[in-house]
Amino acid sequence: MSASLRRGLANLACRTLQATLPPSLQSWGWAIHYETASISDDTKALLFALNSLCGLLPRAVAAQLLHPFAALFGDGALFADGLNVVDAAMRRPRALGILCATGAVLLGLAYMAAAGAPTRYLGTNIGALVIGLTMLAVLGRTVTAERCSADAPIVAMAGALLATALLGAEVEGAVRWVYIGGLSVQPSLVLLPVMLALFARTRSTPATVGIVSAAIAIALQPDRAMAGMLALCLATLTAIRRDPHVVTALAATVIGFAVTLVRADRLPAVPYVDQILYSSFDVHAVAGLAVLSGSALLLVPAIAGWRRDPDNRATYSAFGAVWFAVMMAAAVGNYPTPVVGYGGSAIIGYALSLLALPKRAGAPAGAAAGARDPADGSASDRHLLIALA
Amino acid sequence: MSRQRALSPHAKTVLSVLLDAADQWSHGYELARLADVKSGTLYPLLIRLEAQGYLKAEWQPPLEGGRPPRHAYRLTASGVQLARANLPGQASAPASSRREATI
Repeated sequence: MSASLRRGLANLACRTLQATLPPSLQSWGWAIHYETASISDDTKALLFALNSLCGLLPRAVAAQLLHPFAALFGDGALFADGLNVVDAAMRRPRALGILCATGAVLLGLAYMAAAGAPTRYLGTNIGALVIGLTMLAVLGRTVTAERCSADAPIVAMAGALLATALLGAEVEGAVRWVYIGGLSVQPSLVLLPVMLALFARTRSTPATVGIVSAAIAIALQPDRAMAGMLALCLATLTAIRRDPHVVTALAATVIGFAVTLVRADRLPAVPYVDQILYSSFDVHAVAGLAVLSGSALLLVPAIAGWRRDPDNRATYSAFGAVWFAVMMAAAVGNYPTPVVGYGGSAIIGYALSLLALPKRAGAPAGAAAGARDPADGSASDRHLLIALA
Repeated sequence: MSRQRALSPHAKTVLSVLLDAADQWSHGYELARLADVKSGTLYPLLIRLEAQGYLKAEWQPPLEGGRPPRHAYRLTASGVQLARANLPGQASAPASSRREATI
């Protein structure tokens, strides 16, 4: 890479950071910009700028999201301590996830409104957000990440996915949907994210059997996007903490993904659902930016948690890998664009997957799984199963 | 009322470097290098320290023509107290001496 390119990229990183920082922190954006300019070594300058961008961008995005809430309070108190509110949000991954989900849905609504989507599409997404957050609130009160045993929920969810593959609605050879109350729901998009995030902190034979069963179900449906999500997530977990359970699950998911690649996938793109990462820019540049930034928001809890909470990095990595894989699938094929596109399954799935994140960064999420009180764990299982039923 | 929270190891190291600098002004790149922290860790920390009154920041004119101004930092009196009470490798100071520490 040439020196001028490195310097240009460093400038670009600084300008990106300045564009996202709230007005109260603009002087810090200039401070980083000028400090980068003072570094004579181009490579070191680029690394300095990129590190600054990575460190401050999640906080800058969160600050922009929180800005309307600060206005509601009226006195600007929320920002009186600069980044303290943002910092507090970053330390609460689940709450941060709720903010990000809400922001992404709102940005998706803006895109759909600009693109002329039917009003009921907007209503569906709003309804799904309400349902998802309600489920999260109910389950979050009774099932904490520290206490929940994930074995039974994972096995039950795998059973639901197998049932979908065998008994679900077929469209162009794909069997991925069930009809509930007149609405088409994609169970894999609802259940797989939370399954995988739970598996990240639960290494047991039943949970592994559940993931292998899910891989079989997805291969049967078939669904390349979900199979890719499974494989990427398990590959990430293998890289972080390898053990026989996760390696077995990885092997099953890779085989499942290979099966989906071999099988034909003839589903055409659906308006406002598939291919919108690109087509949204045809509507308007702002609509395209809304879709992109809404998608990026989905990864913020994983990034913030990974940086803040080293003890639970496997969980954050699984969460991030899941949603990154769904977005990549939406970018390269005719698969739903999560949360920002039309469709309630991904919205509910995202909200449910937040259950696997600790309420507070630094809280133990998985260490107690094997040492918990069995009676306690059983009760938690029941709550989770009832709510997911 | 702000919650009390122990300083992170990075925060203690950065405070220590600033404490060693005494009345001299420090710059971001130099601080990151001396404290062995990445700039993505350093700047959020500096922002919070400044917001809480532990750090003074000011713009300094360039020493050479054609160079941009630079943002420089040094500890305030309360910042010096905080740094002395939280030296790296030292057990956390009593709550009374870090009453307002929320880094």
